[in-house]
Amino acid sequence: MGVYETQGFKLDNSGKRVVVDPVCRIEGHLRVEVNLDANNVIRNAVSTGTMWRGLEVILKGRDPRDAWAFTERICGVCTGTHALTSVRAVEDALAIKIPENANTIRNMMQLTLQVHDHLVHFYHLHALDWVDVVSALKADPKRTSELAQSISAWPLSSPGYFRDLQNRLKKFVESGQLGPFMNGYWGNPAYKLPPEANLMAVAHYLEALDFQKEIVKIHTIFGGKNPHPNWLVGGMPCAINVHDTGAVGAINMERLNLVKSIIDRSIEFTEQVYIPDLLAIASFYKGWLHGGGLSSKSVLSYGDIPDRANDYSAKNLLLPRGAIINGDLTRVHEVDLKDPEQIQEFVTHSWYKYADEARGLHPFDGVTEPNFALGKNAKGTKTDIKELDEAAKYSWIKAPRWRGHAMEVGPLARYIIGYVQKNPEFKEPVDMVLKKLDVPLSALFSTLGRTAARGLECQWAAHKLAYFHDKLIANIKAGDSSTANIEKWDPATWPKEVKGAGFTEAPRGALAHWIRIKDGRIDNYQCVVPTTWNGSPRDGKGQIGAFEASLMNTPMAKADEPLEILRTIHSFDPCLACSTHVMSPDGQEMAVVKVR
Amino acid sequence: MIETFYETLRRQGITRRSFLKFCSLTATSLGLGSAFAPRIAHALETKPRTPVIWLHGLECTCCSESFIRSAHPLAKDVVLSMLSLDYDDTLMAAAGHQAEAILEEIKKKYKGQYILAVEGNPPLNEGGMYCIQSGKPFVEKLKYMAADAKAIISWGSCASWGCVQAAKPNPTQAVPVHKVITDKPIIKVPGCPPIAEVMTGVVTYMLTFDRIPELDRQGRPKMFYGQRIHDKCYRRPHFDAGQFVEEWDDDAARRGYCLYKMGCKGPTTYNACSTTRWNGGVSFPIASGHGCIGCSEEGFWDKGGFYDRLTHIKQFGVEANADKVGGTAAAVAGAAVAAHAAVSAIKRARVNHAEENQGGK
Amino acid sequence: MSLARDSSSYHDMATATGVDEAAVQQAPSIKSMYVYEAPVRLWHWVNALCIVTLAASGYLIGSPLPSMPGEASDSFLFGYIRFAHFAAAYILAVGFLVRIYWGFAGNSHAREIFTLPLLTAAYWREVGAMLQWYAFLRPYPNRYVGHNPLARLAMFFGVFLMTLFMLATGFALYGEGAQAGHWSHILFTSWVIPLFGQSQDVHTWHHLGMWAIVLFVIFHVYAAIREDIMGRQSMLSTMISGYRMLKK
Repeated sequence: MGVYETQGFKLDNSGKRVVVDPVCRIEGHLRVEVNLDANNVIRNAVSTGTMWRGLEVILKGRDPRDAWAFTERICGVCTGTHALTSVRAVEDALAIKIPENANTIRNMMQLTLQVHDHLVHFYHLHALDWVDVVSALKADPKRTSELAQSISAWPLSSPGYFRDLQNRLKKFVESGQLGPFMNGYWGNPAYKLPPEANLMAVAHYLEALDFQKEIVKIHTIFGGKNPHPNWLVGGMPCAINVHDTGAVGAINMERLNLVKSIIDRSIEFTEQVYIPDLLAIASFYKGWLHGGGLSSKSVLSYGDIPDRANDYSAKNLLLPRGAIINGDLTRVHEVDLKDPEQIQEFVTHSWYKYADEARGLHPFDGVTEPNFALGKNAKGTKTDIKELDEAAKYSWIKAPRWRGHAMEVGPLARYIIGYVQKNPEFKEPVDMVLKKLDVPLSALFSTLGRTAARGLECQWAAHKLAYFHDKLIANIKAGDSSTANIEKWDPATWPKEVKGAGFTEAPRGALAHWIRIKDGRIDNYQCVVPTTWNGSPRDGKGQIGAFEASLMNTPMAKADEPLEILRTIHSFDPCLACSTHVMSPDGQEMAVVKVR
Repeated sequence: MIETFYETLRRQGITRRSFLKFCSLTATSLGLGSAFAPRIAHALETKPRTPVIWLHGLECTCCSESFIRSAHPLAKDVVLSMLSLDYDDTLMAAAGHQAEAILEEIKKKYKGQYILAVEGNPPLNEGGMYCIQSGKPFVEKLKYMAADAKAIISWGSCASWGCVQAAKPNPTQAVPVHKVITDKPIIKVPGCPPIAEVMTGVVTYMLTFDRIPELDRQGRPKMFYGQRIHDKCYRRPHFDAGQFVEEWDDDAARRGYCLYKMGCKGPTTYNACSTTRWNGGVSFPIASGHGCIGCSEEGFWDKGGFYDRLTHIKQFGVEANADKVGGTAAAVAGAAVAAHAAVSAIKRARVNHAEENQGGK
Repeated sequence: MSLARDSSSYHDMATATGVDEAAVQQAPSIKSMYVYEAPVRLWHWVNALCIVTLAASGYLIGSPLPSMPGEASDSFLFGYIRFAHFAAAYILAVGFLVRIYWGFAGNSHAREIFTLPLLTAAYWREVGAMLQWYAFLRPYPNRYVGHNPLARLAMFFGVFLMTLFMLATGFALYGEGAQAGHWSHILFTSWVIPLFGQSQDVHTWHHLGMWAIVLFVIFHVYAAIREDIMGRQSMLSTMISGYRMLKK
């Protein structure tokens, strides 16, 4: 492949090859290979999805009302979002209108996921890319306390609190059994935080681990459990009964109060811990603005959180919808999931076969025929891969394109679109962060920008939870307790053949399912998921995906310690179980599943 | 954060006296005699936390997510004080070869001492390359790490039964752990995912009593999987009364009647949902209005629709439930009998007629 | 039917096929024979009643009646239906055990439903003869004192094996509710559930078993009435009085 230019990046695979497999602290299994130049700067990046499960073939012939449960198991981290996408796809196909309360409860479920997922991502999947746990041992607890109190009113901030924590941490490290912190990249010069900030972050790592289990209780109340709460085609299964006898078996005042208390605590934790930590950490890393990748060039969002039920048009969606291409921030393009010219998937560099690989296929007509083979320059064997050859096929992820463009999706994409649409809910917080950190707008297009957008969205979602909680109560007060529409519950009422699409904005980005229903059964089911977009391999034109683009031109402090690679890849919050395609063992089934 | 086993016990309110008694009982039960009790006590007082290697195959990470939801004990305490979670791709700081080096180290240093926790399962098709880790099939890694493990915990329905990727037609040929590892004790903790406190309950049981929990014939701990959800369901009185939800959001649903007719699989599902409940005891599926889908049962994806009371049977060519199959067969049999009776009557009439004619001659 | 046999082999023949020419030879002098002893007859009718109860209550357990109103304490309808099912099942089980005992203690006809002379060519010839009779290929059936060979085949599978199957699966399901430690859990639940994979499959097969028994009942009742009218021996009255009336 040698040297070539694409999307404003100059790819050069002549330097030293570094392989990172597995990339940990993500959902699923991912491999990254990069080439470094003489100065340890990344000049070529290759990302490979290394797992797939076949859900789409499995879904064929099943009851569409059951599909949510199958697709929900695509991902247990962003749990529920696939289920919501699935019931929306089925309802779109069958023209089912859901009650207002069901829409409100679904929004609360989805927003709960956003709050939870972003928080867990920041502290438990991402923080160790910025925070040096071992350095925290050198911190002065008193100064740590001063730091904590200077940025937040959070009560757990006394010198004694940090001293106790530090002592426990010391004993832990001295034991020699480092558990999940074993073999970390402690002491790497890419870590920039002073010991006090590290100690504070470790404290919040543990506090967040305790608190995250509280957030999801909203799922438990409405959906019965978390992970993997229950959903229903036509509404929600949790009946509402606030006035009458038997209310203990339904959503009643006590349940609503519990939801409210969780929302209040979530807002508090986000605003007093997450956002202050984010800003504090960012202030030490604002000189490290690598990892922008495609974010300044092409981003995509389907939009989500319909304010009123059954209206999925952009103006009714609280999360922005649209596409930006060619770095033209003055124009947000409209997105249509059913337009065969817009979303297409290519397999030139994916382990699949098309009759004509120069063409992309819309998900309604997706084909998945496996073709597992390594390129001629790959090193190792088929079952012991040492190095991949990106000039050939090299990933189980297909390459989705929007009007031919590789796109980045996720919180940063949503915030960029919201920002250029001048939506104050998104523009004002971004401006606030830029001002606080004293950085220009261009700083947004970076690894740090991605991480910041996620934090802001967490805060936004927590407040929107409160909004929908009030809305639910107002609607019940107005006399509407309905949660399900059963007019079309019986498959006998369905047309013989229909198709539909459903979408959400998962925490990681744009997610959509496409379904065809025939004779009451699933005839075809397709998912294009956020990590398929972000983790996309190259296409026939050599265009790289968002992961690959984001790694380009990043200098590494130590070639042997992939800290910077992890930091940038993690900023996308990859979910590989989702991005996998499905295939049939005989290669006869023409199907695709990706799961984000 | 580092505590010995003894310190953990003490922190949990167990007195030194009880601890020493536990040690002497252990010594006796091992046939070592009471003289060994001080040695066991010393070992437990200084014993390092049990290393745990947590591998991920084909899965969705819901088990890990569930595990960190544990309210008692807190996941934080389990991970930092009770055991040593030395390898878990979802949480560990290291990646790439630094991560894989941990596997080698633990395998050697704690040979026969570490617990292998498996989330997800290995696919066998395409040489196992449906799940590639470090360039190799996951099944190799699983077998390699199982070889020197003390015991294996199969987390969730993937590792225990196969779960969603093994649903028909199982395109990747995903198999549960016990199909590829046959020479180690395996504790199945099924569920999609299992309840957080059940997961930490199993782990703390093993650490506290230093033994594998008593398992049923299918390899599940009896203490959490010995009863059906139905047996302890708070809606059970409505079941016995014959009070059922007939349609979603009907009056019965708002009154919390039994979800039996909505396809609830509580009567056939062994799990602790109706007792332990979920997420710190907040609710469980039935209490939130949706029937149980049977997620801790083997092959629950392939037992017909989640909303059907009667399981669909596919063995007979057409997909139908037992009543349709049986009712059709009975109708056909009835028709055949009627036809046979009619023919018999005609034949008999003819014979009688012929005999009469003969008699007339 | 050849009569040129010594009496001992002839006796074996009668045991295998139920063909009893010796008895028929004496038919003019004995108009009837005592076949079904009292315990067999009693068991038959108790069993019939149990099966009707079990099938009806079992069906309602699978497809419950419309929901009852009010609070849970107002009603125990489903509980009673299930009680009827369990009580009938216990009676059926006890009856089955008594019937097995009577297979040893009673006359030779009492054993017929528990065994099949699978290796006896004559038996299969008579099964063929019965099939021909039902296919209208012969004007008259042969005469049998006990069960005719085809009926015996049906009894072995439809009564003996089906009852075993339904008792094993049924008590396995019952044991689930009765909990570990209960005899039904120890004897059945502990191995039947793992054998089938999971409880839901056992429910399904138990349910299918009910339909198999319904099929058996349809054929059994029809055949009995038809034989009564068209065959060469009495049927219905035999199961009441115990005496088989032989016709020419």
